[in-house]
Amino acid sequence: MGSSNKKLIRDDGKRMDGRELDELRPIAIKARVLNNADGSALVVWGNNKIIAGVYGPRECIPRHDQSLYRARVRARYNMAPFCSLEEHGRSGPSRRSQELSKVISEAFENVVIAETFPKTAIDIYIDVLQSDGGTRCAALTAAAVALADAGIPCKDMVAAVAVGKLNGQIVLDLSKDEDNFGQSDNPMAFSARTGEILLFQMDGLLTKEEVAHGIEMAKIASAKIHELQVEALKGAYDSEHKTKLELNIEPQKI
Amino acid sequence: MAKIVVPGVEVAQKPLRMAYTYTDGEGTFATVISLLSEEGKLIPLEGPYEPLQDDYVIGFVAEVRFGGYDIDIASPYRAFLSSREMRTKLSLGEIVMVRINKIDEVRSMELGDVRSLKDGILHKISPVKVPRLIGKKNSMINMIAQASGCRMLVGRNGLVFISSDGNYNLAVQAISMIEALAHTQGLTDRVSHFLSEKTGKSIVPPSADSNMNQAQTNGEGQGQQEQYGQREYSNSRPQYRRHNNYQR
Repeated sequence: MGSSNKKLIRDDGKRMDGRELDELRPIAIKARVLNNADGSALVVWGNNKIIAGVYGPRECIPRHDQSLYRARVRARYNMAPFCSLEEHGRSGPSRRSQELSKVISEAFENVVIAETFPKTAIDIYIDVLQSDGGTRCAALTAAAVALADAGIPCKDMVAAVAVGKLNGQIVLDLSKDEDNFGQSDNPMAFSARTGEILLFQMDGLLTKEEVAHGIEMAKIASAKIHELQVEALKGAYDSEHKTKLELNIEPQKI
Repeated sequence: MAKIVVPGVEVAQKPLRMAYTYTDGEGTFATVISLLSEEGKLIPLEGPYEPLQDDYVIGFVAEVRFGGYDIDIASPYRAFLSSREMRTKLSLGEIVMVRINKIDEVRSMELGDVRSLKDGILHKISPVKVPRLIGKKNSMINMIAQASGCRMLVGRNGLVFISSDGNYNLAVQAISMIEALAHTQGLTDRVSHFLSEKTGKSIVPPSADSNMNQAQTNGEGQGQQEQYGQREYSNSRPQYRRHNNYQR
């Protein structure tokens, strides 16, 4: 978190990009965008562009990673070298991308029914093509669609969104500037049916009440994102599936 | 009208034991993206191949080992075929149809009932769409075989062997069409229309009576398909069958 005295909420109560406090950026999701992966998805979330591909279950290599009881769920989050203008996330293996790969894998371990395929690995490759804050949430959202598209048995789908604190107010879905100069950033992932929290990270400080308020806000938003995920999956079975990906220009108010 | 359900969608409001679902004690929920019919039947739209005992599958020799072969059967697991099962030798890359004689809890397999398949190509489709490709009493696959003049064999694992003595490009086109449209209704008619148009002959789905004759006249590949046609397919496959097998 950078300096927290920067003005990020305008006098009319809106955020610098004109969004309300509880407004998501425009989101478009498309399933089955890659031919060679078992399942795939593209998510365009504001200025984020993220592609996820799922392979598997397949033979688990290296073999010391394999389990006789379950399939390993391995996510690999990676930022493209051209994804960012500034210091926000750099490409290549880094502490940050290792951390995100780990937390994303762990979120999905809770929903994938891994006992069906012992000794195998389910690989989730996530590439960030363009980033503007909130990429881990968009990455989780994309990967969930790709997993469902691959037909891997899952208990539930995952939808993720961040909340944060700007000038003392709780807001939804932080952009890069809000993340860098706000007071707190709080990404969360939810199991769509049960509403269970599968990922919860916090950067900066929030009070107990602020966290509770943020979770409520994120839960409502994640239901909205889940709807878009379902639409994307159903869209893959439309006869006119080969249409262009269109971004819903209107921001989606929760 | 059947509707598409995604993982986590409730398919019944009571606990049921159904393939491709799980239950939390109160309701039953889908685990893969599937079609939910009005009668509450769940037909998966995607998914990997889960090898089961007594499945007939098509694969190819991936490795020649001492005393046998590793067969790639398009599943996450390699299957072992012992040389004792055959009189002749197989070579690397040879296409075979085999039966899964035995499979254990860590998915080590023993294969048997080998038949080597020569002069043809392999085409892969999603294993959950195999029932659709075969059709009721083999109607769909017989129609394609008749139109293209190829012998065709379909493995439970989604690999299709198409002999090269006919118009196999047409057969592949028809198979791809079925795979892409497996979730739609009236597919047999659409495929018959497509085949009639391409061949310039009238290709009609065989009725139940004429089907028997065709199965006999259509060459050696057909005997196997007969067995598939009569099996109950994925949506009604009992999930507990595997456990029974292990206990025995």
